[in-house]
Amino acid sequence: MANTKTDEKLQKIAKELLESGEANLFIGYTKGSNPQRMRPVFITKPEEAEKLSFSRHAVQDLAVFLKKQEVKKFGKIGIAVKGCDEKAVNTLIQEYQISRDDIKIIGMQCNGVIKQNLADKGETEVSEYTVYDKCLICREHTPVLYDFLIETEEPELSLSGNVKPYAEIEKLESMSAEEKNAFWAQEFDKCIKCYACRQACPLCYCSRCIVEKNMPQWIDTNSEETGNAQWNLIRAYHLSGRCIGCGECERACPVNIPLMLINEKMAKDVYNLFGYKSGLDINAKPVFGVFSESDFNDFIK
Amino acid sequence: MEGKDVEKEKQEEGSELSAGNQSEPRLIAFVCNWCTYNGADLAGTSRMKYSDNVRVIKLPCTGRIDPLFIVEAFKKGAKGVLVSGCHPGDCHYTSGNYHSRRKYATFRDLLGYLGVDLNRVEFSWISASEGNKWVAVINEFTDKIKSLPAQTTDIFTKK
Repeated sequence: MANTKTDEKLQKIAKELLESGEANLFIGYTKGSNPQRMRPVFITKPEEAEKLSFSRHAVQDLAVFLKKQEVKKFGKIGIAVKGCDEKAVNTLIQEYQISRDDIKIIGMQCNGVIKQNLADKGETEVSEYTVYDKCLICREHTPVLYDFLIETEEPELSLSGNVKPYAEIEKLESMSAEEKNAFWAQEFDKCIKCYACRQACPLCYCSRCIVEKNMPQWIDTNSEETGNAQWNLIRAYHLSGRCIGCGECERACPVNIPLMLINEKMAKDVYNLFGYKSGLDINAKPVFGVFSESDFNDFIK
Repeated sequence: MEGKDVEKEKQEEGSELSAGNQSEPRLIAFVCNWCTYNGADLAGTSRMKYSDNVRVIKLPCTGRIDPLFIVEAFKKGAKGVLVSGCHPGDCHYTSGNYHSRRKYATFRDLLGYLGVDLNRVEFSWISASEGNKWVAVINEFTDKIKSLPAQTTDIFTKK
């Protein structure tokens, strides 16, 4: 496939960054095994920058690599990110995991990425039926923070309102405790404890995860009801107020547990309770790192 | 607690099943060292009577009470869990209870969303001088738990 204008701009910027030494490593997308797939690529030499590409199939959140030691050792890093993924970079900066000075953000304007499972069946059109739910509620088509912005050539996503993103959340909220329990018990029953959700998450960076702590063993590691529920609950809890909604956990899940229904619900609750949205401001204090004397108190006797 | 009760408790501790038993449901109270524990102590030294279904676990501060403790209590068969600490503004460590309040406001939502009956978790501020409040909170909570259906479902217990 020929290079698009977007690709050319991206390649030029990456090349310059690598040549000038402003970045020792550039993380971006390249064309995958078929035209409907993109894959991450790591570039260290300026002449390799021509591999870079971007399209409506660039579903991965590349910010996940920023937490890896293998990537961190390069020091100065350039990264191509969509608006949603950029919020993960912001959160990592906010939580002192990376320094703003060490990272060059190439913001890719994006009007939605096509669901991978549909793309694999040959879907190439961006429409409200083919993009991820996160794209339908996206307010950061243009990343909030960037050093270079690459404008999109894609047409704007038109929303008729026929598709309700994360519609299940409201349905679940109105259920009784037993019904909710039945729903989640069935979902968590599928969990095989592969921890792909954790690995794919750009914000799950603890060098020793709570499931790996065994003195005491807080979370049962066998893939049975109790342990599965504990794991999924704690994973969601550790991400509440932090999750930026990139949806990588759900996409990585081999048994299709609708993890985003939990993440989005928590994001919604945190916003309702504390008026905080994650990933928008690198200078904001993390929501659970601060408190207010007038916080919600109704549930306490 | 007097000798007879200790014996009885030891027997109960032996079998996890009895902890979830409906007639005498087991409640776990995670309390802070500085306020609620002393409040409970005051209730004891003032010879006030309160429900003996509760087992108190003392921690330095509500800020130290990890949501995992609640999960663990449910997993081990507790019917209800209470988290209690100093009133806002009274924290021995200045702000532990404020942080904890923020955490629990969200954690409670999450528990509810995942299908845990929210009648089974309770939060309170009880100061060292509020022995009566401790008695009232424990008794009310026990009554509430006893009024729940015998078979409560939650995602943490094996079916």
